[in-house]
Amino acid sequence: MLAVKELIVFYENAIAVNDLSLEVKQGQIVGVIGSNSAGKTTLMNTISGLILDMRLKERRKGGQRITVMGQVFFEGADISQTPAYERARAGIVLCRERHPIFPDSSVVENLKIAGYLRTRAQVRQGLEQAFALFPNLARWRRRKAGFLSGGEQQMLAIGMALMVGPKLLLLDEPLLGLSPAMQTQLVEAIKEVSSRTGVTLVIAEQFARPLLPWLDFAYVIENGMLTLTGPGPELMTNPEIKSAYFGV
Amino acid sequence: MLQGTLIYGLINSVVLMLVALGFSVTFGISGVANFAYGALYIMAGYLAWLGLHALHLPYWLAAPGAVLITAGVAALIYWFILLRVRGLVVSEVIATFGVGLAILELFRYLGFIGFEYTLPQVDASYNIGETVVDAQRLLIVAAGLALAGFLWLFTHHTKVGLAFRGIAQDERTSLTLGINTDKIAAFSVAFGAGYAALAALVILPLGTIAVNEGYNVLVNALAVCIVGGLGSTVGIIVASLLIGYAQILTATYLETHWMMIVSLVAILLILAIKPSGLFGVHKELEERI
Ligand SMILES: Nc1ncnc2c1ncn2[C@@H]1O[C@H](COP(=O)(O)OP(=O)(O)O)[C@@H](O)[C@H]1O
Ligand SMILES: [Mg+2]
Repeated sequence: MLAVKELIVFYENAIAVNDLSLEVKQGQIVGVIGSNSAGKTTLMNTISGLILDMRLKERRKGGQRITVMGQVFFEGADISQTPAYERARAGIVLCRERHPIFPDSSVVENLKIAGYLRTRAQVRQGLEQAFALFPNLARWRRRKAGFLSGGEQQMLAIGMALMVGPKLLLLDEPLLGLSPAMQTQLVEAIKEVSSRTGVTLVIAEQFARPLLPWLDFAYVIENGMLTLTGPGPELMTNPEIKSAYFGV
Repeated sequence: MLQGTLIYGLINSVVLMLVALGFSVTFGISGVANFAYGALYIMAGYLAWLGLHALHLPYWLAAPGAVLITAGVAALIYWFILLRVRGLVVSEVIATFGVGLAILELFRYLGFIGFEYTLPQVDASYNIGETVVDAQRLLIVAAGLALAGFLWLFTHHTKVGLAFRGIAQDERTSLTLGINTDKIAAFSVAFGAGYAALAALVILPLGTIAVNEGYNVLVNALAVCIVGGLGSTVGIIVASLLIGYAQILTATYLETHWMMIVSLVAILLILAIKPSGLFGVHKELEERI
């Protein structure tokens, strides 16, 4: 469904993603695992097309030079030059890291804005779906999203991404900064999304997160380079990983 | 006297609100600066006048034509000038202010000065209690209510209106949701300019169309939006009433030409006391100006 081929991304002269290729099959939950500044966000932004917009804005204001090489294929088509909003229309929806919500809008309004591409009936359905999936949100319908807790904002952000009607949902560190209890709750919700909607998931995460056991396949990256691949549970028991990241 | 002050204060407040609505759509709600706003307002007046007196069109053609052309020019300003500096707020402000200057001074240069530059008004007047109010001013109040109501519905219940709120708060998130932010921003600039043109068509008949009025309109719109708080519709209404009545009181007890000072003082006061405005939804005004 998704294929990234020999991707290289530079910020000025610093390489953030180094000759990375990966493939995602329909219906899978795929992980992109790596520690801080491994290049996860850069990869996610490249798949979603945001990097093109960042490059454009930097160019406009004479800021840093962003260089992207390599290709991204979605459902067989080369989308490397397709702008982010068109990729969303095609079904690639990114939920950016650090719960990207609209803080001055209410919870319902956030979801409605996210329904930009959808019909009225679909928006109504999406609202129900989000509130069924995250009962916490239903309590705060009219509340300004900026006043929600981090976990609730993350739920809202995922609800918004689902509202767009994704075929491929990209989650960038959905568990970042959440309490362990909240992490467990969110992992349950993510599994439910996967099984109920059948949406394909690519999740960027760090190592010690409760999501790993549920990954059909995981790519471990370090300094922008692929170092290891394999099913999630297998990676968890890999002795190299254990010694490098869990200190066992 | 008191009744007259109350009624004319209200009318003046509605005039301010009308002038501010379009500016608020673009700058307040969508976060795109359009400081050519006053120039577009005046341009709409001249376009309608040209339609009526140079092309001899009927009013029902000249007026909507002026609104559409003004909105179109605003979209062109966005596409050819604003787009290049999008996101650099200071550059946005300077670029659009420059375009506004050019438009206004071009009209001055071409000799669009004089008492013949007027737009037709509704001829009738009514007594409200002991105060005589002409039909044009009542039309202004009706237009103000209608346009404010429509704006509220539009920004809360249509996809494009909701997208306005989205791009102002987080452009990248908007992109990931499938919103073509440049297109929406262009539309917002055009929409705001259309509102300016509609305001011009009902307000300008009260006097002559004058280049200098373009600067006053920008100052008033800015004052209302800053005092009310960028992006807040309620804020605009409250700020219009505050400044509107303050202006009328100033005109009644001091002198008419002090009226513009009220807006300027209001801007300074609110920036000193509460920079985000009375009902500001954006945390920091400094971020946008
Ligand atoms: N906007 C940017 N400008 C310059 N360097 C960046 C930018 N974003 C990320 N980087 C650098 O690129 C590398 C990868 O970062 P990132 O993709 O954010 O990693 P991760 O999401 O895994 O933490 C890091 O070294 C980071 O410092
Ligand atoms: Mg990251």
